[in-house]
Amino acid sequence: MTVLSTRLQTPLLLIGITAVVLAVGTAGGPTLERVATLSLISVVFVVGLSTFSGNSGVMSFGHVAFMAVGAYTTAYLTIPVPLKGVLFANLPESLRWLAEVHTSASAAVLLSCAMAAVAGLVTAPVVARLSGLQSGIATLAFLLVVYNVLNSWTDVTRGSSSMIGLPRSTTIVTAFVAAALAIAVGWAYRTSRSGLQLQAGREDYWAAQAAGIAVGRHRAIAWVLSATICGLAGSLYASFLTTFNVNAFFLSATFAFVVMIVLGGYLSLSGAVLGAIGVSVLQELLRRLQDGGLTGGSALPPGTANLLLALVLLLTLVKAPYGVMGARELVLVRGGRRLRRGAQAVRTPAGS
Amino acid sequence: MIMEFLISAVGLGALYALLTLGVALMFGVLGLMNFAYGEILLAGAFAMYLFRNEPWFVGAGMALVFAVAVALLSERLAFHPLRDADPVILMIASFAVSLALQSIARMTVLPRARGIAPEPFLSRRIEVLGADVSVLDLVTVGLCGVTLVAVAWLMGRTSLGIQLRAAAEDFRMAALLGVRPNLVIPAAFVIVGVLAGIGSVVLAARQGSVSADMGLQPMLIGVVGAVLGGMSSLKGAALGGFLLGAVTALLETFLPTDLIAFRDAFLFTALIVVLVVRPQGLLSGAKVRVS
Repeated sequence: MTVLSTRLQTPLLLIGITAVVLAVGTAGGPTLERVATLSLISVVFVVGLSTFSGNSGVMSFGHVAFMAVGAYTTAYLTIPVPLKGVLFANLPESLRWLAEVHTSASAAVLLSCAMAAVAGLVTAPVVARLSGLQSGIATLAFLLVVYNVLNSWTDVTRGSSSMIGLPRSTTIVTAFVAAALAIAVGWAYRTSRSGLQLQAGREDYWAAQAAGIAVGRHRAIAWVLSATICGLAGSLYASFLTTFNVNAFFLSATFAFVVMIVLGGYLSLSGAVLGAIGVSVLQELLRRLQDGGLTGGSALPPGTANLLLALVLLLTLVKAPYGVMGARELVLVRGGRRLRRGAQAVRTPAGS
Repeated sequence: MIMEFLISAVGLGALYALLTLGVALMFGVLGLMNFAYGEILLAGAFAMYLFRNEPWFVGAGMALVFAVAVALLSERLAFHPLRDADPVILMIASFAVSLALQSIARMTVLPRARGIAPEPFLSRRIEVLGADVSVLDLVTVGLCGVTLVAVAWLMGRTSLGIQLRAAAEDFRMAALLGVRPNLVIPAAFVIVGVLAGIGSVVLAARQGSVSADMGLQPMLIGVVGAVLGGMSSLKGAALGGFLLGAVTALLETFLPTDLIAFRDAFLFTALIVVLVVRPQGLLSGAKVRVS
């Protein structure tokens, strides 16, 4: 085993797991395909979130805002121009051009990522300076600001009415490709110089600072990168569902993604991927349980699925606060002593 | 006109101070940023709805009982096992508790908002010092004011209050000096339950309805107020909440209509700025004890 192949084991294994999701989704009926595609989009998002949280040890509750930025950008760029004239009849003068622009689906995806990256750049200076609970509150406040603007700027964002009429350009295959790409990028960053320095800052902030690592700068880099990946997830989400509402990018979505990343283990990329897929499956099962389809009995009152999901999260936090994977990564062959020991040394994240 | 505005601003300020105090107390003693606080309020409002046909004091009393019971239960079942956990883990756990309680409310009687007919005497208006003031505003000021004074007395003059403040200052040191964690933590939850119960009575009367997601807004107000005022000191937090309420009343009166919808965006941007520039809060001293 060379060092290189040990390093590549984890991302290849993870991509292999997402390929299984692709295979299951393609083989099953349309319902299964839908669930599989959405779970692949969740993988993209959670890998994005993990690129920041996993390396820095700082939890973010605001990443859904980047997803919203990606989704809205895609909507502006791909909804057919005639329809846009109707949907955005009251655009202010300075934004008239929004009703005219139109790009191809792939250009829209790239621009969505770029817009999310810009949003990340704007907020990065704040994130670089905060850690622990402060960061948790600040990222949540960021989500609330974005939600408030999207929900209230009715002339431009349609407020609480849904965006409709996006052409469907995301298929299960594109979702898989995006997930594989996200995993590759996430892993590349994690093993890069900046990623390793950021992880050093996660283990011991002051020791890393003393060793000459600008933890804040690396936090900012990871933040922008993760914003970009989450923007990609938002773009895919919008062009898969073809219609979405601002409420899809608020606390319940945040909660669902937090469950995924915490359940899998937020310090590890493998945890992020496994958590995203596992919780997607769990959510689908709970939904069917709530509808009564699973037991064959009558439907349970709405809210049952959420209640069970919350209980699962609580149980995880009590029994295994660092999730199923902890700080470990999936490997087949236990080579690379250096890597393994590095991975097991994790105890607490930064900020405590 | 001025008098009316003053009374409504003071009323809102007192209510917000009450909400903020609940958040700050839990943060000080436990390091817990409790997002389930809104659902403790919801429990109180829920009781108001259940007992809406009884005389008002029964409903208000049951609101207190329900809120305290839910606060204690959440401590027992969720936060007790996590007592030594990282503050961020605690915050995630409180998210989970919040969602669980909301789901229970949705599953039972609140799939959608329900109205509570306000007591008729609340909607009357009376003459005070030449101004026309609604009884509701006066009741808000009175109830919240009395509660705040009571909390100040409890925290300042009683043994329990001193223990709570010691625990908020330095939990481990306080424990070494004989403050029993198993006494102060549940006590903090009981006080928070009472505060939330009173808050829920006022909120239910002001809104005239109860819904499963009604806890979100007051909880966020509490968080913003606590951060603005400085979470390490309860006095600072209460003052922060009061100012937040007064400023909100001011903004609602004087902000142009187009911008009122964006009030929250301004508020939370200010929150982020405060976190970055003055993490110890606007009103407290130099001591930093956040996370």
